[in-house]
Amino acid sequence: MSQNDNPGTSADEPTSQPNSSHLDSEETAASGEVLDDVGRRTFLKRATLGGGGALLAGGAAYGFINSEIKGKPVSDYPMIDEAIFKPKDQRATVLGFAHSKALGDMYPERTTQYNRLHNKDFSFQEGFDVMYSIPWDNSKPGYTQMDRALQKAGWEPLVVAGSRMVANLQPNTPLHSWDQSDVEKEQYQFENEKQAGDAIKSAARVFGAVKCGIAKRDKRFDYDPLYDPENDRELSWEKDFPFVPKTVIVMLVPMDYDCIATAPAWTADGTAADGYTKSSVLANQMAKFLRGMGYHAVGAGNDLGSSVPYGILAGLGEGGRNGALLAPGIGPRHRICKVYTDFEFVEYDQPHTWGMTEFCLSCGKCADACPADAIPKMESENGGYGFEPNYEFSDEPGYTWNNHHGIKKFYSDAKKCYNFWVDNGSACGACIASCTFNEPDMWHHIFIMGVTPKSPNILHKWMAEAHPAFGYGRTADPKKAEKFWKTGEGMRTNSDMKNNIGTSNKS
Amino acid sequence: MELAQWFLMGVLFTIGVFGLAYLSLLVKLKWYTWVCLFIGVVAILFGIGWAGASFLEGIAQSGAMALMLFSGSGIILMVLTWRYLVAPELNQPGARPTAEGRKSEQ
Repeated sequence: MSQNDNPGTSADEPTSQPNSSHLDSEETAASGEVLDDVGRRTFLKRATLGGGGALLAGGAAYGFINSEIKGKPVSDYPMIDEAIFKPKDQRATVLGFAHSKALGDMYPERTTQYNRLHNKDFSFQEGFDVMYSIPWDNSKPGYTQMDRALQKAGWEPLVVAGSRMVANLQPNTPLHSWDQSDVEKEQYQFENEKQAGDAIKSAARVFGAVKCGIAKRDKRFDYDPLYDPENDRELSWEKDFPFVPKTVIVMLVPMDYDCIATAPAWTADGTAADGYTKSSVLANQMAKFLRGMGYHAVGAGNDLGSSVPYGILAGLGEGGRNGALLAPGIGPRHRICKVYTDFEFVEYDQPHTWGMTEFCLSCGKCADACPADAIPKMESENGGYGFEPNYEFSDEPGYTWNNHHGIKKFYSDAKKCYNFWVDNGSACGACIASCTFNEPDMWHHIFIMGVTPKSPNILHKWMAEAHPAFGYGRTADPKKAEKFWKTGEGMRTNSDMKNNIGTSNKS
Repeated sequence: MELAQWFLMGVLFTIGVFGLAYLSLLVKLKWYTWVCLFIGVVAILFGIGWAGASFLEGIAQSGAMALMLFSGSGIILMVLTWRYLVAPELNQPGARPTAEGRKSEQ
């Protein structure tokens, strides 16, 4: 409706009686075309008050979000059923089992039972050889020679360093050596525990950690006994490990968003392999840093202890339905490394909650995306959350040999997961790519992260559905691999310089 | 580009504030009308900010959804508020006086 359509309001139709119920005397200073001095003052006053108020409200919202993304400390982690809980034998891990022919001979029933229940002829121990021998197909996006090359290049530094098997729980590799002969005789003394914690985290950032937390050593989450798969040797914390650890420093290395989005294609394993490489180097450097300050330290990847609970103890995140550590901001899109040390004059971090585990109870996107059907679905008993595994065949005696019973969490069937890797020709990552908390580092995801803990469960369900509707988290999409290989266009040379226009190419 | 996006958001925010302040000079509105207008402006800006970030991160679908759901809702709210709550007030005799009108009053 145009201005002249309104009776009594056109510019050429004067009003004879100002309506005081609509405008006070100050407001009548305004005109349809030009404001006089009083009108301008009123306008600016109201604009300033309104704009200032809006900015204050925005500031308050920012403060609220900032407070929420720091999480809330929790005192009830871990929830353990003492009747069934016991320390986990390192030999009872799928990757450790797959890495050791001796364990295959020692526990043949693990393989026969799996094959009987799933009607397969699968060999855990031959899995890695079969996996990497699957030929590429250059007509199939995500499974080309280039994708295989990316995967192998991701692992290469670990191969060169003789530490590739750290991903398969091999302890005491060259990068994570137990040798303590280079520990400085003089011990650096910090003024206080906070200074020590800050210094360790500063060093972690320099070495490439995206997050770092410090936990007290918790024997419940250390593998005991330890096991050396390459030499088929049981190891003892008391007799073989070079010192008594007091502290575990936990660090996360991020994986590339667009690369993991290609899962379960081989492309995704490129960033997973690179994550293992970088996390191994990171743990190596942090251990060396501590030894240089006169304290014993040994780096670890998947070995020595269970990484996810240590990550939770170090306040870095929460346990997710997919069995991974969900870290606020990056979700499960990271690799974890640890450093065991006897340094203990440090400010320890606490477990925190961001409402993520709670969210997992209403989400289930990782379970839907899992091509191996290895993650408990929403329809499972208690949503798959409890003290014991309740996935398919978990009531078969001995079938859940790989799970750490007695901790309240989501239990997944890692045997089926690994079986899919072998069939697929590479590790998968679909549960990481599809996770609602796997987001790029942009303000709107941080905003959602901040409001999640305060939002009701029914909204969580809606948010989980909105995630794919907004274009996030879809897996098994060949276009994702094609897209990934184009993301180099306009690439910045340094992620810290994302706003430095013109760093390279078209950016 | 991210900085440019925030700059643009600042410009749009300022225009929104000036627009509402100017409207407040033209007509006296009920409190709930202001609430609707304010929510509309915030929703439009939120959608634009979301969309900008989504395009920057390379997820165009998210940007389109944000424009449709957040900014679209904001626009619909603004239009309905204007149509049913603001325009009738503007159409009242005596609302939005002109310079000529004020002269004739004197």
